[in-house]
Amino acid sequence: MIVCKNISKSYKHGAARKQVLDNVNFVIGRGDRVALLGRNGAGKTTLIKLIGGVEMPTSGRITRGMSISWPLGFAGGFQGSLTGYDNARFIARIYGHDYKDMKAFVEDFTELGRQLAMPVKTYSSGMRARLAFALSLAIEFDCYLIDEIILVGDQNFQRKCQHELFEKRKDRTMILASHSIEVVRQFCNKAFIIHQGRVTAYDDVDHAVDLYSAL
Amino acid sequence: MSGNTLHRLKNGWRVQVRVIHALMIRELHTRFGRENIGFLWIMVEPLLFAGLVAIIWRFLKGPDEHGMSIIAFVISGYIPITLFRHGVSRSVSIFVANSSLMYHRQVKIIDFVLVRFLIEVLGSMMAYVFIATILILFDQFPLPSDPGLFVAGWTLYSLFTLSLCFMIAPLSELSEILEKFIPVTTYVMVPFSGLFTMASWLSPKMREYLLWSPFVNAMEMMRKGIWGDQITAYYNIWNPLGCSLVATVLGLALCRKVRKTMTVE
Repeated sequence: MIVCKNISKSYKHGAARKQVLDNVNFVIGRGDRVALLGRNGAGKTTLIKLIGGVEMPTSGRITRGMSISWPLGFAGGFQGSLTGYDNARFIARIYGHDYKDMKAFVEDFTELGRQLAMPVKTYSSGMRARLAFALSLAIEFDCYLIDEIILVGDQNFQRKCQHELFEKRKDRTMILASHSIEVVRQFCNKAFIIHQGRVTAYDDVDHAVDLYSAL
Repeated sequence: MSGNTLHRLKNGWRVQVRVIHALMIRELHTRFGRENIGFLWIMVEPLLFAGLVAIIWRFLKGPDEHGMSIIAFVISGYIPITLFRHGVSRSVSIFVANSSLMYHRQVKIIDFVLVRFLIEVLGSMMAYVFIATILILFDQFPLPSDPGLFVAGWTLYSLFTLSLCFMIAPLSELSEILEKFIPVTTYVMVPFSGLFTMASWLSPKMREYLLWSPFVNAMEMMRKGIWGDQITAYYNIWNPLGCSLVATVLGLALCRKVRKTMTVE
């Protein structure tokens, strides 16, 4: 279970202050596949970062009762001057994972071939996404945080991701920020609408999608 | 209940060691690459600095100073000060530079400070051992008369440097002005680091003031450990210990505050 209690997040820049999330409460159970719906800048990525522990809430408390992946997004925490292999080795080390297995999986999943021995800064965003995705799938988590990423990459990669995530790992918890209504309708069983700092939870995904489209 | 806590503590320690190890390798790779002598570069800089300054002093001031070999004296002062200056300058903006690593929850921001500091300590220790061994062979450096005291002094010096890094890292994040003052501050404090003088050379009044500096206390210990009965040293181990403790507590509190408001791209 992931419990968010009275979460608020605001960013300060000089004298200006922006309240992104305002006293948000929700519970995500094991096996829930939650879609985060909201317009650009509504706070989807912020919420994912808070759940993932990348940033800290200004106030409130998040209790994590399961292992949670790092947020899968475009940037994804790579060191540009290191190679794909180096980054994989780093991830394997900090998660206490066997590097040989990891390497084999990453090579197979990313299909990047010799590019893996090149610095990550030479990768295109699609290639980065492949690497980020492979690394997080190589380590098993109870809950995956996904920020739009399955929509980048070519057809073949998208199919692979959907297979790995939504078929092989369909028992896992997922929190997915997406603008793609199709993906949301197809895979999610819950939806949160984020609007003006508030989060409203819906068990009926179709209903939530309709409301979101009307925003 | 207590068994559970112990288990969690052990687990936490394991994760911490794993993270530090991974970060060290990553830092060494990004900073020095894998070509030529690779990570051995970490000792080259303090080595060159202390070595060259020692040679200049040897020609400017003659072979001895107050009965100590001038080369040995300069080296015993410059290697620690290099550790301090590098440690401090490496801590500036360290969180921004590493912020992408915050994606992994087990990585804490103080790990970055710790890792960079460990690398500097390793480098200067290697440089020290290397240069002292060579000089001992050529009879330019005394065999340490009390290695234990020397190591204790070195440890206190490092500890205080680390505790300053814990403060400077978050402060540089909070204020950009601070960053501009750091180079001049580290330069101005050189005379107060015990680099050029032994406390016993000074008037009692001056000595009293100088011994307020934790660096001077640690430096006196190191030199006493090297020269033993040939010199008189003044030190109080509680000064560097106490200062380190205070600076660490303040620093960790600042780190916590910075972490709360840190934005990660």
